[in-house]
Amino acid sequence: MARALVEKRIDWTGIFFAVALTIVIVFPLLVVGTWAFTNVWRYPSVIPQEFGLKFWQQTLARADVWSAITMSLSLATVVTLLSAIICLPAAYAFARMDFPGRNILFFSFLAGHAFPKFGLLVAIAGIFLSLNLIGTFWGVVLIQLVGTLLFMIWIPVAAFQSVDRRMEEAARDVGAGPFRVFWSITLPQAGPTIAAAVLLSFVGTFYETEGAWLIGAPQIRTLPVLMISFINNQPVIQYGAVLSVLLWVPSFIALLFARRVISSGSFAKGFGG
Amino acid sequence: MSLTPATDIVGTKKSGRPIGLLLVAAPVLLVAWMIIWPIISAIGRTIWLPDEGGTESFSLETYRFFFTDQYSLNNLSVTLWTTGVCALLLVLICLPIALYLRFAKGRLAAYVQGLAIFPMFVPSIILSYAVIRVLGPNGTVDLLLNSVGLPHIRSPYLTPWGPVIGLVWDNIPLTVLILLSGLGNVSNQSIEAARDVGAGRLALLWHIILPRISNSILVAVSFTVLGIFSAFTLPYVLGPAAPEMMGPFMQRTFRDLNDPTSAITQAVITFCFCIVFGLFYVRSVAKNRTT
Repeated sequence: MARALVEKRIDWTGIFFAVALTIVIVFPLLVVGTWAFTNVWRYPSVIPQEFGLKFWQQTLARADVWSAITMSLSLATVVTLLSAIICLPAAYAFARMDFPGRNILFFSFLAGHAFPKFGLLVAIAGIFLSLNLIGTFWGVVLIQLVGTLLFMIWIPVAAFQSVDRRMEEAARDVGAGPFRVFWSITLPQAGPTIAAAVLLSFVGTFYETEGAWLIGAPQIRTLPVLMISFINNQPVIQYGAVLSVLLWVPSFIALLFARRVISSGSFAKGFGG
Repeated sequence: MSLTPATDIVGTKKSGRPIGLLLVAAPVLLVAWMIIWPIISAIGRTIWLPDEGGTESFSLETYRFFFTDQYSLNNLSVTLWTTGVCALLLVLICLPIALYLRFAKGRLAAYVQGLAIFPMFVPSIILSYAVIRVLGPNGTVDLLLNSVGLPHIRSPYLTPWGPVIGLVWDNIPLTVLILLSGLGNVSNQSIEAARDVGAGRLALLWHIILPRISNSILVAVSFTVLGIFSAFTLPYVLGPAAPEMMGPFMQRTFRDLNDPTSAITQAVITFCFCIVFGLFYVRSVAKNRTT
């Protein structure tokens, strides 16, 4: 009875949060989206004088934009591939094998998270200086690779651990070899979660700004780095807006895939919640 | 996808073969070379300084310089101020949202949760651009105020409040998620029991809910402090040129002034300021993972 009354009451708190968050979260992004499709928007008009795609053509005609897109995509691809090659076998080992020092090695991936990130990057840059890795592609690859380790090991470990061991044993009982078991039983079950981890590390690397800026700039120019220089030095507002919309595409794809994962609650637990 | 598997990482299978070690060697060595070694080396090279003859000896000169240089101290204090203000604002903003989400159901609650998590999918560089377009000089807020005949705002862009706005926006999702996960430990029964004996909303919050989620609040604050103390992109783009936060300060010292020793000294100082939060945060993550 009491509960029915509560449910019928108008949820003012909810309406307040919904309106406040819409204004604070959605509105600024809508403004950027509007700028991207605006040909003329002069002060003090509240809405643009002329909509259009003029600046999309101009932005996409710029050589620096294309080289930054290529650079970002190739960096993210190389880093994700390398990360998958070294992390996935390690994740399998952590989940399924026993070896000396297993626990301490597993938690060693947390080491980087006990320190403020940019301070750590500066300390790494100090090492890179003597190795002549500053301003090189592989220097940026290395620094971004380290950033993916925790995700690419911890998430797949959880995936391998949640595979039903009885199914594997059943397959082995009917004569399947270890590789056959891995390919037909283990991988299909762990696959979707591992794919999510790979996607997360690709998107995370694509947006990684601080390492690329500290280690790579000005020779290695990724999209976020180009965006910083557009914000600082580019008088044409629309270039930044168009680039923002372009830059957001991978995040949108991640959003579609990761929604279920993130609202499941176990995600926050991974951050210590 | 669970980051907290049901079983402990310590497995049951005892084969003891070192092939496992071989498989984990590459990422473990990478951590040793790119995280552990740089930290040790950073401390080493800032306390063993070469003199004119090139021989190295123990010296705290770079630290003495940092703590006597007014410009460095201003940067440190603006960093401490920004971190403190952001942590406070985040708890004040996110705790009510998390409390609402814990007890509300239905479509409106799902919408609020979706919005609160959404900033996670907005890279901070796009956020910086959006903040400038909305709150910057002649930005959208100015346009709207102007259209109803009100004066311009004092734009937070290029003031210490610029990074605060950006960093709070950026950190809302994880703070809400961490607090929400903590609120999951508050059982409905304990709340109903307290209600039955006549506890009001504030008493409920103060005596029942807060004591149970104090650990989550500490985790959220530690996470925020670690992220904000050495934040780079948002302070660099939105903040004033001087005083600057430690992130941009280290970057400029390292690249523009070409003075790695001073930059690494600044890095070690940020480590020292964050070490308590860092250890606490890592300990909570590790504890969550094992239990």
